[in-house]
Amino acid sequence: MTATRRILWRIFLIVALLGFWQFVPTSRATQFWLSRPSQIAAALWRWLEDGSLWGHLGATLLVMVAGYVIGCISGIGVGFLLGLLPRLHRVVSPYLAAVYALPKIALAPLFIIMLGIGFAPKITLVAVTVFFLVLNSTVDGVRDVDRDQIQSLVLMGASRGEIIRKLLVWASMPWIFTSMRIAVRYAFTNTLLAELFAANRGLGFLIQYSSGNFDATGTYAAITVLILCSVLLTEVLSRLENQMARWKV
Amino acid sequence: MAGAASAALATQGGLKMKIEFLGAAKRFSARGNEIEALTPTDLSIAREEFVALVGPSGCGKSTMLNLAAGLLEPSAGTVLYDGVPVHGPNRRVGYMTQKDTLLPWRSAADNIRIALELRCRATPRAEAAERVAQMIDLVGLTGFESHFPAELSGGMRKRVAMARSLIYEPETLLLDEPFGALDAQLKLLLLDELQQLTRNRRMTVLFVTHDLGEAITLADRIVVFSARPGRVRGVHSVALPRPRDVFRIRFSEAFGRMHEALWDELKDDIVKGTDV
Amino acid sequence: MASEPPRAASASSVIWSQIGLGLALLAVWEALGRGGGGTWISRPSLVVAKLISWGGGDLWRHLGVTLAELMIGLVPGVALGVLAGLVLGRAPVVAGILRPIVVALYSVPLISLAPLFIMFFGIGMLPKIVLVAIVVFFLLFFNTFAGVERVDADLISTVRIMGANAEEQFRKVVLPAALVWIIGGFRIAIPYALIATITGELLSAQSGLGHLLNRAAEQFDTTSLYAVLLILMLLGLFLTEAAGWLERHLLRWRHRAG
Repeated sequence: MTATRRILWRIFLIVALLGFWQFVPTSRATQFWLSRPSQIAAALWRWLEDGSLWGHLGATLLVMVAGYVIGCISGIGVGFLLGLLPRLHRVVSPYLAAVYALPKIALAPLFIIMLGIGFAPKITLVAVTVFFLVLNSTVDGVRDVDRDQIQSLVLMGASRGEIIRKLLVWASMPWIFTSMRIAVRYAFTNTLLAELFAANRGLGFLIQYSSGNFDATGTYAAITVLILCSVLLTEVLSRLENQMARWKV
Repeated sequence: MAGAASAALATQGGLKMKIEFLGAAKRFSARGNEIEALTPTDLSIAREEFVALVGPSGCGKSTMLNLAAGLLEPSAGTVLYDGVPVHGPNRRVGYMTQKDTLLPWRSAADNIRIALELRCRATPRAEAAERVAQMIDLVGLTGFESHFPAELSGGMRKRVAMARSLIYEPETLLLDEPFGALDAQLKLLLLDELQQLTRNRRMTVLFVTHDLGEAITLADRIVVFSARPGRVRGVHSVALPRPRDVFRIRFSEAFGRMHEALWDELKDDIVKGTDV
Repeated sequence: MASEPPRAASASSVIWSQIGLGLALLAVWEALGRGGGGTWISRPSLVVAKLISWGGGDLWRHLGVTLAELMIGLVPGVALGVLAGLVLGRAPVVAGILRPIVVALYSVPLISLAPLFIMFFGIGMLPKIVLVAIVVFFLLFFNTFAGVERVDADLISTVRIMGANAEEQFRKVVLPAALVWIIGGFRIAIPYALIATITGELLSAQSGLGHLLNRAAEQFDTTSLYAVLLILMLLGLFLTEAAGWLERHLLRWRHRAG
C-alpha cells in the first residue's frame, strides 16, 4: 500500500470517528458526558479568543523549562561527581535507588506544604524528577568509558584533569544527551501532573478544573490541546535528534 | 561449459540427479536497481555427491543454495529436486548457515528435537526423546543437553545446529559457510565430523564456502563462481582418494596442486577488488 | 582513578559506610527537627512512632487498596496490550495505517488524563484501575508489537525448512521470541502503574496510600507525610525488584554461564 493511500485511510478513519462522534444520536445524559466535536471546537475557540489559553500554555512552558534546566544542570554536575568517585557512588547508590523507586508525584503534597502554592513546588517537582534521571545516566556514562581508551591516555602521560576534560566529558556525552532527550518527556509529564494539584494556571490545571466542574466539553478541549502539544513536542524532539545524529557519526 | 560437464555426468551412468539447476537465475530489485544475483546457470548434482561452491562474496553461491532450499523462487529457469520442481521450503533437506539460528530459549536437546515436534512428521514423545539422545551422543554433546545456547561455546552451538539438521534424516544437506566463524582447529574437527556423518548416511551435500582448503578436503566436485554478475566460472573434479584425512590432507602434493589451480581461477576476482 | 584499585574497598567496608551515612543523615534530621527548623521538618523519631501507631491495621488497609488497584488494573492492561500487539504485529498493512495515530496518542502523558477518569467513574477504585489499565495497555502493546516485528527472520526460515506451517512458525518461533519484549514491557510497566495509581489517589480517593498523603497534607501533618513516603518508597523498591526478578527468571536462557 502506498504512502498516499495510507494517509487517505488515516484521514478517513479520523473523519469517520469525528463524524460518528458528532452525529451519533444520544440521550441527554450521554450527551452530558460525551459532548460533541462542534462544542469542543467552540470551547477551544473561546479560549483562543480571550487569550486565556496562551496564559495557561505559557505557565506550563515556564514550569517545564525551568524545572528541566535546573534538573539537568544539577543532575549532570552531581552525576560527574559520583562518576568520578566510584566509592562514593557505591555508598550512596542504595539511597539513590530508594528515591528513584518512589513515584515522584507523591512528593507533590510535601512540596506544596514546604513551598506554598505557585510555581515553586511545581518547578521543584519537575527538577527533582529530571535530576534523578540525568544523574543516573551521567554516572553510567562516566563509568562506562572504555578502559582501554583511558589507559592509552595514561600511557601518553595525561594528567587526571586532562583525562577528564579530553576523554570522559566527550565519551559520556551520548549517555547524557540521550537522558536529556528522555528527560524532556518526563519534564512535560510531571509539569502536567504537578498542575493537577493546587494550581491555578497551566494545561494540567485546565484539565483538572474542567473535570472538577464536570465540564466534559472543557475537559475534552483541554485534552485536545494536550494532544496537539504532545505531538508537537515529539516532532521537535525527533527533528532535534536527527540533527544531532548527523553531527555525531 | 558447466552445462556440458554436468550433462556428461548425467549420461554417464544414467545416474538420477538429486538436484538440478536448469537455466536457474535470480534477480533482485533493491531501491529501484535490478541486481542479478545469479545469471542463468545449469548445474546438476548427483545422489550422494559432495559439491562445494566457492567464490567471492556476491557471486551467487548462497543464492543457489537458497534456490535449492526453496527459500527463494528462481526468476528464470527451474530448480528440480528429485526431478520435481521446488516450490516453497524444501522439507527434505537439512540446512545450516554461518549464523547458528538456534532458538535461544530452548535447551540444546529441545533445539534438536524441534523438527520432530512439527505436524508434518509428528513423532511420539518417547521415540523423539530417544532419537534426540542418540543425536546428542553422535555429535559429542553428552552432558550438555539442558544447556541453553547462550551457555554453550561456538563450537558446541555448531554441533547442536548440525544435530538439529540431521535428526529428521534428510537425504540432502545444504550448508552455507557453516564453520566460517570458528577457529582453525575447531573447524578441522567439525569438518571431519561432517565428512563422517554425511558419508555414513549417504547424503548429498551442497556446501558453500570461501575456504578453498575446506572445499578440496571434502568435495567430489568444486564449482567456482565469479561475481558481478554471479555466474559459474568452472567446475573441477576433485580426484583425491576417499576417505580423506581432514587433518593431514593439506600436506599432500595433489592437494597443493589442486589448491594452486583453483587459486589461480579465483585470483582474478581478487585482483578486481572483490573479497573472497 | 583510571584503574579500579584492588578490591581493598571491600564489600563490608562499603556496607559500613552506607550504614554510617544513613545514621548520620538521620541524626542530622533529628537535630534539625529538635532545633525547630520549621513545621515541615518533623523528626525521624516522630515518624517511627507514627508508623508504629499505624501498624495496627490502618496502614495495611490503605496499602492493600493501592496494591489492589494496581494489580487489578494490570491484568486487563497486560492481556489486551499483548493481544493487540500480537494481532497487529501480524497485520502489517493495518498497523502501517494506524501507526502514526497510535504514536501520536501515545505521546500524550496518559497519566495526566486521570481527572477525566475521575470525572467519569467517581471516587472509588475504578478510575485508578482504568487509568492503570490504559497506561499498561499502551506500554505492553508497543513492546509486544515491536517484539513481533523484530523476530529474527532467519529463525523463522530455519523452522520453515524443517516443514513448519504458519501456525507452528508463530507458536514455536514468533511468540517465544516476542516474549522477551513482552516481559521487558511488563517490567517497565510496573513503576508506571504505581505512578498512575498514586496520582489517581492523590487527586481523589477515600483510601489508599495516595489518599493518606493527601489527608496528611491537608492537616499539615508532615510526620505522617514522611511516614507514608517511606512506605511508598519501600513499595516502589519491592515492586521494581520483584519485576526485575521475574524478568531474569523467565528469561534465564539469556544469561551467559561463567
